[in-house]
Amino acid sequence: MTLTGNGNGNGNNRDVSNERSFGGERPNALELAWVRVRAHLRSEYGDAAFKNWLRSLTLLRASGDKVVLAVTSKFWRDWIAAHYGDRLVALWKAENLGFNGVEIVVNAVEAKEPRPRGDALEMPQRETDEARPQPAPAAMNGEEPRLGDVQNLCTPLDPRLTFETFVIGKPNEFAHAAALRVAEADEIPFNPLFLYGGVGLGKTHLMHATAWRLRMRNPARRVMFLSSETFMHLFVKAVRYKDTHAFKEQFRSVDVLMIDDVQFFGEKSATQEELFHTFNALVDHRRQVIISADKPPVDLQGIEERLKSRLGSGVVAQLNPTNYELRLSILQAKAEQKGVAIPSKVTEFLAHKITSNIRELEGAMTRLFAHATLLNSREISIDMAQEVLQDLLRANDRHVTIDDIQKRVCEHYNIKMADLLSPRRARAVARPRQVAMYLAKQLTTRSLPEIGRKFGGRDHTTIMHGVRKIEELRGGDPSLNEDIEILTRSLTR
Amino acid sequence: MPARQLVLDLPHRAAQARGDFLVAPCNEAAVAWIDRWPDWPAPGLALYGPAGSGKSHLAAVWQSRSGAVAVSAAALRGGRIEARYCVFEEGEALLRDRGAAEALFHLYNRIAARRGHLLVTGAEPPARWTLPLADLASRLRALPAVEIRPPDDAMLSGLLAKLFRDRQLAVPGEVILYLVQRIERSCAAVARTVEALDRASLAERRPITLPFARATLGFA
Repeated sequence: MTLTGNGNGNGNNRDVSNERSFGGERPNALELAWVRVRAHLRSEYGDAAFKNWLRSLTLLRASGDKVVLAVTSKFWRDWIAAHYGDRLVALWKAENLGFNGVEIVVNAVEAKEPRPRGDALEMPQRETDEARPQPAPAAMNGEEPRLGDVQNLCTPLDPRLTFETFVIGKPNEFAHAAALRVAEADEIPFNPLFLYGGVGLGKTHLMHATAWRLRMRNPARRVMFLSSETFMHLFVKAVRYKDTHAFKEQFRSVDVLMIDDVQFFGEKSATQEELFHTFNALVDHRRQVIISADKPPVDLQGIEERLKSRLGSGVVAQLNPTNYELRLSILQAKAEQKGVAIPSKVTEFLAHKITSNIRELEGAMTRLFAHATLLNSREISIDMAQEVLQDLLRANDRHVTIDDIQKRVCEHYNIKMADLLSPRRARAVARPRQVAMYLAKQLTTRSLPEIGRKFGGRDHTTIMHGVRKIEELRGGDPSLNEDIEILTRSLTR
Repeated sequence: MPARQLVLDLPHRAAQARGDFLVAPCNEAAVAWIDRWPDWPAPGLALYGPAGSGKSHLAAVWQSRSGAVAVSAAALRGGRIEARYCVFEEGEALLRDRGAAEALFHLYNRIAARRGHLLVTGAEPPARWTLPLADLASRLRALPAVEIRPPDDAMLSGLLAKLFRDRQLAVPGEVILYLVQRIERSCAAVARTVEALDRASLAERRPITLPFARATLGFA
């Protein structure tokens, strides 16, 4: 938008063609003049108006005999031009720098050329195209890849997830050693390797690292790595296209088959059947199979017994919840990797506060880096961490009441509040009751007698027993464990 | 009218370009994140803030820039979505919908594997969503979450001015500054105020001046 006699501002001119660039002398004069013009505007229109309307106006450059100013939206441009345009032109003329008019452009990043991602793509086998976002066609249930394209459906290996970047600590050292062993062995050491652990503890990282190492040691080896969901998807399609023969061939001709998150196979019996046969065929032909899940084979729900026992017939390795030391090492390693200096007070703070899992811990760190290095160029401090991560930190700090807990437990297990508080000892209500007692102990500051009163006037020893019972069971019962995690999260959100 | 849809969006369906978005301190962090795409450090981004704060507008801006597919809970349940860039605006709808949550989990994995991006929006940050699937919850919690705060003065002024102008009403700046100090600080209140003044001005055939606004809205 041009504010002078020649009115050829065409509305969306983000760039100025007949631009005049200056060496060194004029920009300074220009900037000084802009300071004066702003001061005039502020004194003429008052602080409030200045802040509300003119704050967003910035000096861009000089272009011919015009000054080019920028705002962040079309609306501000129109508003400022309509209300302050004349004054702006007059003030600039009065600066005697030879300007005859003012042009206001919208400085929004409207159609910025997508830049390649900043991440270093140091590993091979990744096409550069893959790293560069392109407007993606809306492919919804439309053109799906044919079976022959199975390689495209394999999980692409993430160059950041290697053994080198995997931080080892007590909770994960066994799983790490087992994966490394498989990755580096010339003869199959055990089959299958079954990795399991809770959410975000590094299963997928170990899978990627293993696949990388296998490929690097022997590029000719056919490594197929896919999610259980993709496996199911391919199988369902093969059945639909009556092409199960090709499907079988595809999977049975690989040297290493890796399937992530098999807990999602639950209740899908035809796919399970197929996995079972594929699995047997591969093992019989001395091919390596690597599986990951959130539970050990025996606890997988909806999975047939014979498949469970097959899955558990090699090495079963657990990724345990993190401890403070491991969290701290992970944060330090990540900072080093990114080349960002982060005070040890901040890493300690994060390792102490974000205990849920590694993914969230790393996510928090990533947010801090992004905030510090790219948005504000600020130093990383505890204050900044508290501000940037407020949603995560506060999520753990919410005040929880026993009433909340009882209500939520009843909803979760679909039982009546009256039953929860009753003396009934049927397991269907006794277990949820104990879970509620346990949560009341963990999430509130109430004493055991107080909790007892809230549970239909029970004795505090009953509460203590319930709490202990759940503590014991938690270790060996992943589904109970998951219930408690879900409830805790929902209560402390 | 569903509570989450902003009144002020209705006349501006077409104007969802980045240049139409009012940038003010309450949303500049969110805008900065959208503007720096594709340089996002994670497989996605979460935008959160109260209804009417402009989440959908920003999501639409990003969508047009990235070619992302808008995904609903129903679409998630309906079948496998292959797009590399997706917007999911029904964060809170997942809370009781295990099927959709599971589908979003798989979609997230495919997006992450292909180095695409998923933009999710909601009134609360994902850290406070009670998702029925722990695997999805942890993925969403690990995304950068950026808040769009309730509107500040600059935002309210801009919005008032914009809505007046959209109705072809010439309203002096002083009236807008006066209103900003007095109305409830929400985009919905801005829309209601503009509507009320417009109607009164039409009915009484009087221009919107300071005394008129004061009398119409009953401010002392």
